[in-house]
Amino acid sequence: MTSIMRKLFEPRSVAVIGASSTPGKPGNVLLKNIRDNGFPGKVYGVNPRGGEIEGYPIFKTIDELPDNIDQAIITLPAQYNPATVRACGAKGIEALVLAASGFAEVDHMGGELQDDLAAAIAESGVRVLGPNTTGHVSMPASFTSSFFPLGQVPRGRISYITQTGNFSGISLRHIMSAENYGVARVAGLGNKIDIDESEILEYLGDDPETAAILLYLENIKHPNRFMEVAAKVTREKPVILLKGGSSDAGAQAALAHTASLASDDRILDGALAQAGVTRIYKYSHLFQIAKALAVMPVPAGNRVSFLSPSGAFTVCMTDFSRSQGLDVPPIAENTRKRLQSLAPPFIRMRNPVDIYGSVGAHGYEHAYGDAMDAVLSDKAIDAVVVIMMLTGESGIPDYDFIVDLARKHPKKPIYVTFMGDHVHNVACKAYLEPRGVPAYMLVEEPFEVLGVLARCRAALHRPR
Amino acid sequence: MAANVAKIIQAAKKNGQRTLSEYDSKRIIAAYGIPVSRERLVGTLAEAKDAAKRIKYPVVLKGCSADAAHKTEKGLVVVGLDGQKALSDAFATIKKRAGKSYDGNYLVQEMVKGQREIMLGMTRDAQFGPSVMFGLGGIFTEILQDVAFRVAPIRKRDAKQMLGEIRGHRILDAVRGMKAVETSILVDAIVALGKIGLDHPEISEIDINPLIIRGDKPVAVDALVVLGE
Repeated sequence: MTSIMRKLFEPRSVAVIGASSTPGKPGNVLLKNIRDNGFPGKVYGVNPRGGEIEGYPIFKTIDELPDNIDQAIITLPAQYNPATVRACGAKGIEALVLAASGFAEVDHMGGELQDDLAAAIAESGVRVLGPNTTGHVSMPASFTSSFFPLGQVPRGRISYITQTGNFSGISLRHIMSAENYGVARVAGLGNKIDIDESEILEYLGDDPETAAILLYLENIKHPNRFMEVAAKVTREKPVILLKGGSSDAGAQAALAHTASLASDDRILDGALAQAGVTRIYKYSHLFQIAKALAVMPVPAGNRVSFLSPSGAFTVCMTDFSRSQGLDVPPIAENTRKRLQSLAPPFIRMRNPVDIYGSVGAHGYEHAYGDAMDAVLSDKAIDAVVVIMMLTGESGIPDYDFIVDLARKHPKKPIYVTFMGDHVHNVACKAYLEPRGVPAYMLVEEPFEVLGVLARCRAALHRPR
Repeated sequence: MAANVAKIIQAAKKNGQRTLSEYDSKRIIAAYGIPVSRERLVGTLAEAKDAAKRIKYPVVLKGCSADAAHKTEKGLVVVGLDGQKALSDAFATIKKRAGKSYDGNYLVQEMVKGQREIMLGMTRDAQFGPSVMFGLGGIFTEILQDVAFRVAPIRKRDAKQMLGEIRGHRILDAVRGMKAVETSILVDAIVALGKIGLDHPEISEIDINPLIIRGDKPVAVDALVVLGE
């Protein structure tokens, strides 16, 4: 099992079956992706014309390829897949990625084709990721099988298991362009004809390159096996799942998307709780939570403090915190005195921290910095959210004090969020995130993330 | 215990039954330690009077047969019988409502009093296998759909967590002058239902509804065991 996962995620040599010299064709984009990510292993292509594409040698048939190739990626149309799988098996290539769609997710004919494919896989003894997948990404190996134009994917410690081709493609492009974190492994499962989420979850659980695992699934192929693996991994690393098809209408959409049949969602809910899997309900959380886990620790609990220059936010975000299972507890008396010393006497300082008066008296950096240090030092607080209100008139502070405080308090997450001039918010995010402080454009987002991670923490430390 | 349960199931299967009578259903859950109402199965009015005397009035009288799963809809349940006269009247009423072809028995049952009703169930999910449900009971079960599930085998810790998961979980607390429910009884019952599911694959479904909270202790006053194909 481990050896097949290594061939998939840490290959030394790969073959692209259906290599193409036509820009934009999957067999061409894939070779460019492999080159752009600096894959150090051997790369071969197969195309009846032979020659060379993107600098890689092309063979006319699978049979002509060199021996001992770890992995083949097949970009041919669906109807050629069964025969190609057999040919790869005969050549001794064990790990295959099948890109084509047009199987059971489409119609009855596709279903029959998928049955043929299953027979080919069983007969040739190969292991298959897909079909109907944009492929996978493995940055520790500088490798991707994605045929969606990606360019250089940033490396990080977050891994994804996803039952949508969208992930190794457009979702990665979103991460790369809108966020500042990298990925370790990303597996697009597709129709899961063979390799499933349980097998990959087990691999990622043992993977030293993976610090946290996020999943998007529309069904669970072997539920009992999945729960058994998850029960172990969830004690070691955050395991966070978005389950598509939790409503009746969503389940119908899932059937059309990846040919998935749903189980009773409430039973699934119970099983996930038993296995310590933290369930989420928003697609965007796959990114929002990942970027927090990429640079910040999991909070030790659900007790949050936040700083805001707006009375409305101290009220609304306290309400919202409660709805997310967070507590906004009273702070220690010495913390409160420290905050009061920064504030004009007419503002009574407490948690949440109304920072408006302090900023007026001491300036941005001094007021925010001291107040953050005070609440971060308080034993009653597990995490701190900083709401910034940035406008040209108010002046734009130097954000290094936030980076320094994050280093001073490495066990407590600090998240930043905004209300104000968008141009300054974007610049602040772009400055802070590469330096290890996640920033969220919408004011509720950091609280949602903390709510999820507090549940995650409880799962990680649940009694045996 | 398991042997006794197996005997009840075997007898029912031999009879061609898809469901067990309330009496047999309760014998099965009671064998696994789930508290059930005190009751006696009787065939005649004389036996019913004798049973009521032992159980002590007030009592409940129910028609009890394998095919009378919907006792309430057919009106085969009369509650709050406080003496022999009431019992005799109820016996005649139920016998009449059940019809001439009725060949079932009658169940004389203690009247369990309490304002709070909850439910427990076991169902067999195609993917996860035996799963146990806990939720608000009585007539509100279907309206509120306020339930939580766990998959067998269930540990006590999971069962405890489950009790806190329903929206109406405060029903188990000390509210409106009522005592806090002794939740360890529910935890044991949840674990037990999961075990029944694992021990007896012939059982496809169990419905215990309601469990009435008497003081601080839940007691199953109705139960239905459904057998698989």
